[in-house]
Amino acid sequence: MEEDTLWGNIFHKKEKQSDDIYTLLAKVPIFQDLNKRELKAIERILHQRTYNSNEPIFNEGDTGVGMFIIIEGRVNIVLGKDYKLLATLSNGDFFGEMALLSEVPRTASALASIESQMLGFFQSDLFGLLETNPRLGNKIMFRLAQMIADRLRFSNLENQQLKIKLARLEEKSKEKKVS
Amino acid sequence: MDVTVGRFLRFIVILFVMVVISWLMYKLADLLTVVIVSFLISYILDPVASYMEARGFSRTAATAIIFTVFFLLIAINVWLVLPGMFGQLFVLQKQLSSGGTDSLILAAQDFIKSTASMVDIESIDIKGKLESFLTYASDQVMAILSNIVSIISAVVIIPFVVFFFLRDGRNMKKLFISYIPNRYFEMMLNIMHKIDGQLGGYLRGQFTEAAVVGILGAIALLILKVKYSIIIGIFAGLANLIPYVGPVAGAVPAILVTLVNGGSTSTIIYIIIAFAIVQFIDNMIVQPIVLSKSVDLHPLIIVFAVLIGGKFFGLLGLLLAVPAAGIIKVTSSEIYYGLKKFRHL
Repeated sequence: MEEDTLWGNIFHKKEKQSDDIYTLLAKVPIFQDLNKRELKAIERILHQRTYNSNEPIFNEGDTGVGMFIIIEGRVNIVLGKDYKLLATLSNGDFFGEMALLSEVPRTASALASIESQMLGFFQSDLFGLLETNPRLGNKIMFRLAQMIADRLRFSNLENQQLKIKLARLEEKSKEKKVS
Repeated sequence: MDVTVGRFLRFIVILFVMVVISWLMYKLADLLTVVIVSFLISYILDPVASYMEARGFSRTAATAIIFTVFFLLIAINVWLVLPGMFGQLFVLQKQLSSGGTDSLILAAQDFIKSTASMVDIESIDIKGKLESFLTYASDQVMAILSNIVSIISAVVIIPFVVFFFLRDGRNMKKLFISYIPNRYFEMMLNIMHKIDGQLGGYLRGQFTEAAVVGILGAIALLILKVKYSIIIGIFAGLANLIPYVGPVAGAVPAILVTLVNGGSTSTIIYIIIAFAIVQFIDNMIVQPIVLSKSVDLHPLIIVFAVLIGGKFFGLLGLLLAVPAAGIIKVTSSEIYYGLKKFRHL
């Protein structure tokens, strides 16, 4: 009877942990369309890592090859040598997803501000997935493309507004010169 | 002072670990060979498993199917080809030692003397060279066969290890990656991916090419009714792993055997044409498909690799020297560029 409880506890604990990870993954936009079986396939290829407090996850300028999802903890996204704080991310947040598409230098540094558990999803894993499970790989690629299209649209709007503002400012300065 | 002592201690520890690893590798050489051969087989077969996985098979089912087909093919080969191959090898050796071919060798020497008078034919000693090569080749084969450990490892352990490498390779890789410190983790993952991309194509290409050249060569020689066609075909396929020399090295034994057996000049011309066609097919069709020449090795490196391989590991070393040099080149250059890119150099 005791043995049953022991094994039950072990499996229950593991099951609960996996369920938590699936719930967490389902909230990440690029994994949004996936069913539980597909999430399981994703979970199998993700790399789980633990970072100590103040340990860098990556540094600005490093070549990035993947994204990170925070299972538990807190991460500061900082810029420059003086570590100017841009954002603080916590459980369920993700960052670095652009590196899935192109190997470009990281534009900011990521630092774990407390001991943090992370999941890493990398370009090589995505390519592997596209080979072994193209359906699933394509779902993720499509979501990624959508996310970037949304951002591009937002940037375009912002760009347009800035251009209008700039034109107005130029007009005003011309008027001042004339008067 | 402390720093110097610390460095010295670290140096001693690293040296000690290296000595222990070398000693273990020396003592466990047989086991290491099994692991390396199994790794290479499963590495070459891995894309097939991935392809089947993409078609809806589970990894275990895909592995089981590939495993069954692959080892059935090997078993059929062993059953059908090996007895014939050994038969041919022993007959060839016996024929040479019985002296029955002396007159034919003399005829071949006369032929060479009349067509290429500048060659000092006595110093070449065709018969002696051929005899010593055949004795060496059959001794090597017998040494491998008579070694019971090799048989057990070849028949039982290698398939067993290949099965698990093929099925659980990805998990093993993931486990290995989990031990890499956070600082180097992303860099190592990137380097491993790059090495995998280049090396996978190169090794699969090399072995596919060797198989195609070997099979086509054997078929051509069978059609031309040249004796020992299977051995020469296998030799031509393996020799093809060595650039420049390989393609020619494949045709030479066929021509020699024809000369020794009193074959006509036209047969020799047909053999040369057949091997030229095989090379043409290899260069124009097989190579572009399998991209086996994706790793550029300098001719000097190839020469030294072949010499070193032959010196230390005999016939097998001679044949596998170039793929080994390719592996070393790709791995070291990817590690170097990876370290540079991630600013650790």
